[in-house]
Order: sequence, then C-alpha cells, then structure tokens
Amino acid sequence: MAPLLRVENLKTYFRTYRGLVKAVDGVSFEINEKEIIGLVGESGCGKSVTMLSILQLISSPPGEIVNGKVKYEGQDLLQYKSKSEAMNSIRGAKIAMIFQEPMTSLNPVLTIGRQLTESLEIHLHMSPQAAKERASELLHMVGIPDAKSRLSAYPHQFSGGMRQRVMIAIALSCNPRILIADEPTTAVDVTTQAQLLELMQDMVNRFSTSLVIVTHNLGVVARYAERIYVMYSGRIVESGWANDIFLNPRHPYTIGLLKCVPQLGETRQERKLVPIKGLPPNLINMPATCAFLPRCDFASDICRSNPWPSLEAVGENHYIACYYHKSEKP
Amino acid sequence: MVKKAYNNIEPVGTREWEEKAPRYSETRRMIAVFAGRPLPIIGFTIIILLVLMAIFAPLLAPYPPNQMDIVNKLQQPSSAHWLGTDSLGRDTLSRIIYGSRTSLIIGITVMIISSVAGIVLGLMAAYFGGATYHIIMRFMDALMAFPMLLLALLIASLLGVGMVNIIIALGIGMISAPCRLMCGVVLSVKQNDYVLAARAMGMSNRRLMFQEILPNAFPPLLVMITIGIGAVILAEAGLSFLGIGITPPTATWGGMVNDGYKFIMYNPVLAISPGVAIMLVVFGFNMLGDGLRDALDPKLRGVI
Repeated sequence: MAPLLRVENLKTYFRTYRGLVKAVDGVSFEINEKEIIGLVGESGCGKSVTMLSILQLISSPPGEIVNGKVKYEGQDLLQYKSKSEAMNSIRGAKIAMIFQEPMTSLNPVLTIGRQLTESLEIHLHMSPQAAKERASELLHMVGIPDAKSRLSAYPHQFSGGMRQRVMIAIALSCNPRILIADEPTTAVDVTTQAQLLELMQDMVNRFSTSLVIVTHNLGVVARYAERIYVMYSGRIVESGWANDIFLNPRHPYTIGLLKCVPQLGETRQERKLVPIKGLPPNLINMPATCAFLPRCDFASDICRSNPWPSLEAVGENHYIACYYHKSEKP
Repeated sequence: MVKKAYNNIEPVGTREWEEKAPRYSETRRMIAVFAGRPLPIIGFTIIILLVLMAIFAPLLAPYPPNQMDIVNKLQQPSSAHWLGTDSLGRDTLSRIIYGSRTSLIIGITVMIISSVAGIVLGLMAAYFGGATYHIIMRFMDALMAFPMLLLALLIASLLGVGMVNIIIALGIGMISAPCRLMCGVVLSVKQNDYVLAARAMGMSNRRLMFQEILPNAFPPLLVMITIGIGAVILAEAGLSFLGIGITPPTATWGGMVNDGYKFIMYNPVLAISPGVAIMLVVFGFNMLGDGLRDALDPKLRGVI
C-alpha cells in the first residue's frame, strides 16, 4: 500500500544576515494511513520547520523550501503556491495541525463556536446552523462539559488544557487524513498531558486519521507512536519501529537521548543519568562531516574524514545514519 | 455514621457545577467596565449632548444663526444674548449651536474616510509585506512629510472651497496616521500563533486579514479615531480661519474664533466661547475613546 504522505529529500533553508541556516536538510519520511508516528529531537533541530514546510507555512522571506517533494496521495504539494486556493483546500481539510501553545493558538476576540464553525463552513460548505450543531458535537467529543452553551464562550474563559482540547476539536472538525501535533503537550502539566494524549489517540482512532506527534519528549512518543523518526540538526538520524528505537537504539545520538531519561524502579546507585555532552551545533555553516561528531562518544577516524553518512538499513525497517554500526554495535 | 456520609458523596461528573459552566455576558461586562469610571461617562455625555444639540439646533437656538442686528453688535453677555453678539450683531450662542452641525459632520465623515482607507492600506502593507509594504508606507511617509494642515491647504486650494472639498482635503491629510498605526499593530498581531493556526486550517488571505487580524488590531485605532475627530474639528477650524474652509456665513467654530479674536481685548467671550466648545468636544471624544479602549480590549478581558 502506498503511503498517505511521502516526504522526499525536503530542504528548507533560511537566509539570514549571519549566513544560510539549513534548518531542514534532506529529510525523507512517510506516513501511512491510520498510523501514529513520532518525530523526536531536541530544540532547534528542525522538527517544527519540517512540519510547517509540509503545509507551506514557512514565512518567506527568510525561509525557503529549496528542494524536495511532499507527495500527498501521489500529488506533489510543493507545486502549489503557498497562498493558492489549492493549498488552502489541503490545509485543515486534508492535513490539519495543532500547535504547542494552547494559550495563544485561539483568537481571543472570536468565540469558541465561531472558530469551530469557520473551517466547517469553508471546507465542508455547511450551513451556519448545521456547522453549529456539528461544533457542539465536536466539543462534547473532546470532553468539554456543557458543550452547547460553551460555544458562545471566549478563549480566556477556558483553561490551557481545555483550549488544547478545543484545538484538537478544530483540527479534527473537517475530518482530515493527517493530524500533525507540534509539541501538543509541552505547555500543559503532566496530568493534562496524559489526558490530551489519550484523547488524541482516541480521536484519531475514531476518525481513522494518521497522527504525527512532534516532540522532544521521548516519554510522550514511547506509549503512542508506532514508528519513530529521530532528528538531529536538520536531518533524520534514525528511524524504525518504536520498539526497536527504545529497546535496540543504534545511533549514538538516540543512545545518548535514552541514557538521560530516568526509568521507574531504578535507584541512583544502579544507573546514573548521563547527559549528552556539549551543545547542539549552530545550524549556520555546518561542517560537511557528521553534525553529531563533536558530541559523539564513538567517533572514529572514518567519521572525521567522510561526509555526513546517509541512512542505511540495520534491521527490518530500521535505518540509521552512522558509520560506527558497520564495525560493531556501539 | 461517618462511613455513611462518605458513601453519600455523589460521583464526579454529575454535580451541578460540573454540568453548568458559569456564564458571563461579554456585552454586560463591557458596559460595566465602560460605566465603572467617571471620565468615559463624562465624555460620552458630552458627545451625546453635542449630537442632540446638532440635531435639534433650530429648536434650541434663540435666534437664527445668520440673523444680523448691526445696532446690537459686539454686545457683552446679557439676558437677551447669553454669550453676546459678534461684529455683525449675530447671536454667538445660536452660532455655536449651529456650528456643532458643521463640526460634527466634518469630524465624523473625515475620520470615517481616512480611517477606512488607512486601515485597509495599513493592513495590506503589514500583511503582505515586501513590495506592497514599501510602496504603501513610502507613500505614507511622503504624505507625512507635509504638515497635515499644509497638505489640506494645498488640496483645498486645488479643489476650491466648500464642505465636500474640505472633507476630501482633510480626509487625505489624515490618512497617514491611522495607516501607520494599523501597520505597526498588524505587524505584531500577525505574529500570533492563532494567525498561524488559522492559516494551517486553510483560511484565505481575506479571512485572515479581516477576521483574525483586524479585530485584534482595532482597539488602539478606536482611540486614535475618536481623538482624530477632535483633531479634524481643530483642523477644520484652522482652514476656516485661513479663509479656505467653509464659506461664510455658515457658522463654524473655527471661523468664529477667527472672527472673535480680533475683538479679544474688547469682548473676549466672542473668541473664548467657541474655543471652549472645541475644547469640550475634543476632550469628550478623547475620554470616550479611552473608555471604549478599556471596554473593548480583548487582552483586558478577565482582568477588569
């Protein structure tokens, strides 16, 4: 079965006064139908830019998608202009997105109901009355009590968790095929985080939507994602089934990430948390060699003398971009 | 006993407060904020009185505004002429009452014209950016390079005197201020997450501009517009003063100040009373604008 969305060699660069920032540098991945995938990486590694590039929401200038294909059902979305009708009919209707900050993602001057019905009217051409009924159904579905009268409330009357629920309702209102959740739980507390993730999993199952969870929190994806992509400085460094990534990580970066996550039942004597040393690289004027090289515990001469390695299979559906695996498992 | 009471606790979710969300009416809150302080109410009252005065001028004025009475010219205030008479023997109070019509019509139409044009241009400049931004804003810079009055003077002298021409002249002269303000506010508002979120939901440019951005950028403009009405009334007075405003004998406050100031030593009421009228109206519009801003600003919701 062909994937629902296939991103091929996507490159998004930002031209700044200090130089060219290669925020996304040759990223390829695919999303199948009804699948939950996780995109993991630290701050500034290009996760969000990758997702914004898919919907062409990069502000240009300074951003520019210089290369690549975003094939949705075999159709390249990058051939459309960012502000074109064709692109607008994809956004929200086919691919929807929710953002990190629930406190600022809703327009403060419009009622919750207006913001919910708007996209229903645009994409599904519903009458205002039908849209209103659908909106209160959706609010009820995401677990907001007294949904009908809540339609006339304003965002400031809602808490952060409730606003994110509203965002989920808005994103799913037009029954999109793919939902991109860009760090959906970063700004809410842990209890709400768990509730929201459960809700999202439940909703995408009900709507048969694919879900992309973008996060820097490995714990978030561990439970929900089926496949995981690990990004580092604009590239994907490891991808595979969630089980493989967590139980059998192969890339030194993924290994490092997992070493600094505490685990239940472990005492301090048994295992110390090991941070990854150093800082993420500056994306301006990157070296031609592996970007993780200065921080890598397994660096060897082959790493220093060769360009950035490309993704290679190390198992069934398990790819890493590293030279080290060739000699032995790090 | 204790155990029984414990068992009586209802399960979460069926309690009344869970089901019924507290309801606030936004309109009622706005009125409460607006009416909660004295100054906006004073401003609002002044404006209402002014509007009533303009509408019912024929009933209120003791004399027709242009009725001359040369014998009784330049009279001090008296029971017959509460604010005295001018150099042609016209009753000052009646002329102030009729003058409110001219001032209101010019003030409001000019601000409507210039703020609608300014808002659309400023919104487009900031939203689209790039070449659109530079073309519109450099044009506004060029307009701003001339003092507003000088520009209006130039346009008025090209078009000739008369109410419509004055409105056009002042309207063009006033565009740059709302345009620049709008542009600045939109530049910051459009960075908000909800604009990106709306774009991600497939909203068209027009919807983003007029539904998502404009209502959020509007409160500071509201204050500017109300203050601008005062400024326009002043500017019209200035133009009338220079003789290219409203043609005499139509009563205008600016023209009356001009007529009266020649006699300021002999009969100061002549120049001061229309001046006070201008001042009161400008003050009224400013206070109204301030009150409206506090009541309408979405960011103050829940704070006040």
